[in-house]
Amino acid sequence: MSNRPLSLILVAPALCVILLLFVVPLAASVIGAFEVGDGFGLGNFVKASELYTQDAIFTVVIVSLSTALIGIFSVAIAGYLTLGENPRTVAILRWLYRWPMFIPFIVTGQVLRTFLAKNGLFNNVLISLGAVTPLEAESYLDWRGIVIAFVWKQTPFVTLLLAGAMASLDRSTMEAARNLGASRLRILFEIVVPQVATTLLVGLILSFVTMMSVLSVPLMINAQSPTMLTTDIAFRINAYGDYGVANALGLVSLAITSVVAWIYLRHGVRKSL
Amino acid sequence: MPQPFLQIDTISVSYGKNRVLDGIDLDIAKGEFIALLGSSGCGKTTLLRTIAGFAMPVSGAIRIGSRNVTTLPPDKRGMALVFQSYALWPHMTVAQNIGYGLKLRRVPARDIAITVAETERLLGLTGLSHRKPAELSGGQRQRVALGRALAINPEILLLDEPMSNLDARIRLQVRHEIRALQQKLGITTVHVTHDREEAMVMADRIVILNAGRIAQEGRPETVYNHPQTGFVAAFMGAENRLILSGGEDGDVIAIAAGASNAACRVPRLGRVLSGGQIEARFRAEAATIAEMSPGGAHQGEGLVLSGDVVDVSYPGGLWRHTVRIGTEMIQVDAPRAVPPGTAVRITIAPDHLFLFDAPAGSPPPAQPHPVPVPDEARVLEASPF
Repeated sequence: MSNRPLSLILVAPALCVILLLFVVPLAASVIGAFEVGDGFGLGNFVKASELYTQDAIFTVVIVSLSTALIGIFSVAIAGYLTLGENPRTVAILRWLYRWPMFIPFIVTGQVLRTFLAKNGLFNNVLISLGAVTPLEAESYLDWRGIVIAFVWKQTPFVTLLLAGAMASLDRSTMEAARNLGASRLRILFEIVVPQVATTLLVGLILSFVTMMSVLSVPLMINAQSPTMLTTDIAFRINAYGDYGVANALGLVSLAITSVVAWIYLRHGVRKSL
Repeated sequence: MPQPFLQIDTISVSYGKNRVLDGIDLDIAKGEFIALLGSSGCGKTTLLRTIAGFAMPVSGAIRIGSRNVTTLPPDKRGMALVFQSYALWPHMTVAQNIGYGLKLRRVPARDIAITVAETERLLGLTGLSHRKPAELSGGQRQRVALGRALAINPEILLLDEPMSNLDARIRLQVRHEIRALQQKLGITTVHVTHDREEAMVMADRIVILNAGRIAQEGRPETVYNHPQTGFVAAFMGAENRLILSGGEDGDVIAIAAGASNAACRVPRLGRVLSGGQIEARFRAEAATIAEMSPGGAHQGEGLVLSGDVVDVSYPGGLWRHTVRIGTEMIQVDAPRAVPPGTAVRITIAPDHLFLFDAPAGSPPPAQPHPVPVPDEARVLEASPF
């Protein structure tokens, strides 16, 4: 092909960016994870597993639970936006639900820190409602705080994808079910959700990967053990300059997200067959 | 008319400030096949959706037998709707699609399987049970949609342009299949369409809607041969339109001579005209065309026009001529082609000539002009009107 050199020149900038900013650092991290003293070995992984196995499990549980809750809430909100019959509440909800998307994780952490603290707004409301006494009030700044922060922050994102997919469905498929006597809940779960299942899966996987990489929220809300792997990585580097164990923990995170990516790819392949 | 089964009583529907249906009255007998015919935006689909319960009327009532169903939800009306897009559920198989309504009614799985198999046999879908809609042809999808509606054994079947997504050839076949099925099951059916021929061959009665009102209703042959307004005449194929002068004169309607027409008198045939300007409509095949012969006076009765052939084409069967009559163009069919440029005489028999009061604001008919005209026309002008 005569224009082959030209096409190489055209893709060169993008290729360089990927090489320099992604492939090289990733390779360095992977190699770094196996560097022990002067040679190579599994020492960093042994150390990481001794110190942080509990945190790895904690991370998977927190992120999986958050993903499940995000799925439930986004289906509920997008479902109401699609099937709701009161135009005013639909309009209000449509206006409201997006806001958390525009708030950075660090600000989310900050806001929830004051909201969920022992003497925070959440407990004050519960106390004034008589749900708990001041003595029973407890801080939610632990795993529950992280889950609340993640769900609050990521639900709008998945809802946005889902509501868009639902809006582009042929509405008459819902009316046909209605015509035959299906309730709105059945229409949501038997007619609408199956048709947008791929979008829901993609949204949840993207959220899962995003949550796996958030540092600020566990750092601000959950300053205790067990905590999430991102906190451990930052701690290894900042406190000890221990890049070896940090890289090993990074690879563990990567392995976890790879499982999710595999599910996504497998589903994608099945769809295209 | 027998006791109405489905009664639509002065229904009005608005979308916001826009009045879409305005006082629709319609009685439908049990087992009757009604076609709602009209152009886009006339309100025919809105009327169907109102009957089905997907649109709420601002006034009026819908009754089935003695039961008022106006405010009932769609599934409590004993009706099943077949959607224009079929609205099949892509994640369900043919059998699941057809059986879903029964599943919602908590029918035991064994009975659902029996009904689904029966419905599939009735509609020629046997062997396709496990296919998804994406694996079916357009005609098969349409039948699955019909099967899904029929499986719940509804009292009333509503069809929203169910054939508009089918190939022209399949459509002709499906028309007869649906009609035969409807007659076999004796199910009361309301069918929305914009296709005149489809409505004519399928329906017992045609209801023509225009701008949210019923323009005319009646048996196909009645509506076709006795349109009550210019709109209905045009919709029924009488596209040729001329504005003439004239009025009632006892048992006849007297049409005054104009720039391109002779004076004539046609039987009233029950027509009521207020006089003045008349809108004349006729079908291309209802007119006869003859070359103007010098000196030959016209014979026979009916409206006689003089004009020139502008164009001739062959759509099949008959030759279609475009003829200029004064400033208007009309279409005339004839078994024999008349070449363009020929001066011709067009005759429309009285019973094929539809006459209405011209709508207000119509341009006045052209007056007989003093400039030299062919002999024939001069003879016509000499007539007493």
